[in-house]
Amino acid sequence: MANKRASMLLAAFTALAVTAGCGSASTGGSNEPEQPANNAGTGAQAETKTEPEAPKEPFKLSIMANLHTPEVPSDKIEKLVEEATNTELDIQWVPDGTYDEKMNASFATGTLPQATYIKNQTSLIMLRDAIRNNQFWEIGPLLEQYPNLSKLNPEVLKNTSVDGKIYALYQERPLSRQGLIYRKDWADKLGLSAPTNVDELYAMLKAFAENDPDGNGAKDTIGLTDRSDLVYGAFKSVSSWFGTPNGWGELDGKLTPEFMFPQYMETMKYIKKLHEEGLINQDFPVTSKTDQQNLLITGKAGAYIGSMGDVVSLDSKITEVNPNALLDVQNKINGPDGKFGIWAIPGYGSVVLFPKSAVKSEDELKNILAFYDKLMSPELANLIYWGVEGEHYTMEGGKVVPIEDTKITDRDVKPYQALQIGGISTIDGFFEAKHLLPAKEKAEQLIVDNNNYLIHDPTAPLDSATFTQDGVRLQELIKDATYKFMLGDIDEAGFQAAVDTWLKQGGQKIIDEFNASYAQAK
Amino acid sequence: MRDTAVGNATLAKTRRNSELLRRLVKNRALYLMILPGFLFFVIFKYIPMGGLVIALQDYQPYLGIMNSPWVGFKHFERLFAEPMFFTILRNTLLLFFMNLLFYFPVPIVLALMLNEVRREMFKRFIQTLVYIPHFMSWVIIVSISFVMLSMDRGIINELLVMMGFEKINFLMSNEWFRPMYVLQIVWREAGWGTIIYLAAMAAIDPGLYEAARMDGANRLRQIWHITLPSIRSVIVVLLILKIGDVLELGFEHIYLLLNSMNREVAEIFDTYVYTAGLRQGQFSFSTAVGFFKSIVGLILVMGANWLSKKVGEEGIY
Repeated sequence: MANKRASMLLAAFTALAVTAGCGSASTGGSNEPEQPANNAGTGAQAETKTEPEAPKEPFKLSIMANLHTPEVPSDKIEKLVEEATNTELDIQWVPDGTYDEKMNASFATGTLPQATYIKNQTSLIMLRDAIRNNQFWEIGPLLEQYPNLSKLNPEVLKNTSVDGKIYALYQERPLSRQGLIYRKDWADKLGLSAPTNVDELYAMLKAFAENDPDGNGAKDTIGLTDRSDLVYGAFKSVSSWFGTPNGWGELDGKLTPEFMFPQYMETMKYIKKLHEEGLINQDFPVTSKTDQQNLLITGKAGAYIGSMGDVVSLDSKITEVNPNALLDVQNKINGPDGKFGIWAIPGYGSVVLFPKSAVKSEDELKNILAFYDKLMSPELANLIYWGVEGEHYTMEGGKVVPIEDTKITDRDVKPYQALQIGGISTIDGFFEAKHLLPAKEKAEQLIVDNNNYLIHDPTAPLDSATFTQDGVRLQELIKDATYKFMLGDIDEAGFQAAVDTWLKQGGQKIIDEFNASYAQAK
Repeated sequence: MRDTAVGNATLAKTRRNSELLRRLVKNRALYLMILPGFLFFVIFKYIPMGGLVIALQDYQPYLGIMNSPWVGFKHFERLFAEPMFFTILRNTLLLFFMNLLFYFPVPIVLALMLNEVRREMFKRFIQTLVYIPHFMSWVIIVSISFVMLSMDRGIINELLVMMGFEKINFLMSNEWFRPMYVLQIVWREAGWGTIIYLAAMAAIDPGLYEAARMDGANRLRQIWHITLPSIRSVIVVLLILKIGDVLELGFEHIYLLLNSMNREVAEIFDTYVYTAGLRQGQFSFSTAVGFFKSIVGLILVMGANWLSKKVGEEGIY
């Protein structure tokens, strides 16, 4: 069981990182690479036209979802899904970057579609008030009537719940992909093995910066490359290695924010040391993800902490610059106490809500849920995730090998992955991906291994009104202070002062509210 | 007696009304031409102002303006009680005055210089060159300056090191934020800003220059006594309009430059509203802040206009 789950997670990861192939008619083996979207759609349809008229009127369903690709998606897969489910889909694609604004605007004007995707946990938390005010359908009690939807993980559903009631279908995400990616060729040259604790990591970064790992005789390399992101950048992962809780943790039986734990301070000191000694890019608080990755790709930096799945794209770019470069991944880096832990997300990415303003009756809601139930079947899940066999992927030993032309998959398939409900651990028969890159194969295994060491955020299902209102602004205070400490602008007392300000400006209320909610949930 | 008075008044009123109507009919073509503009302002500028009332409510999108609870000045109180309030107000005003002081004269000087260029081809070429930055988005400009100013092998810092100086942390320090902000604006907008001045200068009667030359005035004298006085009213109008934008410092630009290390000098109302309000869906609070900003802007414009009339210029109304 553990193995199966592991391999499933594995596949999900690849798919997310690689961009799966895209679908067209199942009978069509013809590749139509650069054809415009419309033509591709009709071409794919031609062969399935023989199907007799559906006896029932197709059910009309409007959807708003976020688009992760720059181009407008083709409707190839949409057509196939419509046929398989006897639905007439009206999908409103909104670019991911402006999704929340668009959603807020649609909400304010009462024009949300029947199925509204909510971008992530943060966006969902902001809607809690509206959910409480009866703006969305509760679906919890209905789920068991559907064979596929009933397989959704109750733990994750709980993380999306509001006051214990379930309103949303979720899109499964691997719990923790975080780890270290480093230059194996540099490490080999300097006689270093993969770091197993934070001291060895420090030694590696120091050696990368000072012992001329690229052998050009100049001291022009650094150890770690990081970016302006305390969560998905290096900081939060390093802080879990040090044993800091994920967001919130219990201190003397009370929920306390992570930055009040001594381990958080230890992490800041660690990064501060890296910064002082020039082992990390000096501008990391303003570095973009692209620039961060470029430092690794161009051979200026030797280590990257973040999603281990990134190794695929990093590898393909780095070998273009330097064919001899070799990347490897590592997850278990123990803290000073000899223990390893890694922060986890609440298990979901986007969720789907059903606004009462658009879904007028319970019958209509049931129709929509029936659609999602079908969408969660292995056939359709594979279709929206991988595309059409022979066109967007081929099978090798029961595993999926996506086609190499990512332009096609970007246009045909990748957008539709945004519609997925559930995922590899909740859908039996969901295809796994075959990894051609050994480091990727290893990354997938380590991601599964991370599942044994997860640190969860206890506040995910909890509620605090003050946090909803002021959380983002207050978090900025801590973020600023964290960066200032790491760059040496303030000392421990200065950081403590920022924490005190946080407490005074509403933090104490957040603590109290979360603890009340925690006690209630227990 | 009283009847007659009333009768007279009514009569006068009717006459006035018919007078107005007659004039409307007579100039119907003109009024028809105003209509689209008039409607534009009513529909897109005045009607939305009604939305300002949500600053006095706890506005919930699903309840709408009609049903959201009224809370009086709660959101304004929250704004003024905000620990960051004075920092934000100071930053906003300071950036604005720096903008006025260091950016505003640049297009005028540039236009004067361009105006003195006698070779038409060369002048066109330079003009085009200085316009171009205006068409670049802030994202591009900020990215370029990040690449150049970075501590990790940014070209400027590399040069400083080569010349034996210490590296300067341009991007993440309080001291360098304001100069960087103003310089980027000058670089992007100075050329574009010359357009109106050049147009004004083109309208100056060449006879004036001839007469001045006869009197033995050199180029500088001509600029000082003819060109500048001739464009003075344009300068004043543009200055007042600029003041009207007082608190519109360019959200995108500042938001891109803003980071944890320079927040104390870089946070302005727009960026603050974005983090504290919009990202958390707090429409009422955001509206209250925006309203406050507009009032400050209005006061400044009226003040500037009054001042310009005082010194004998025309003003904008």
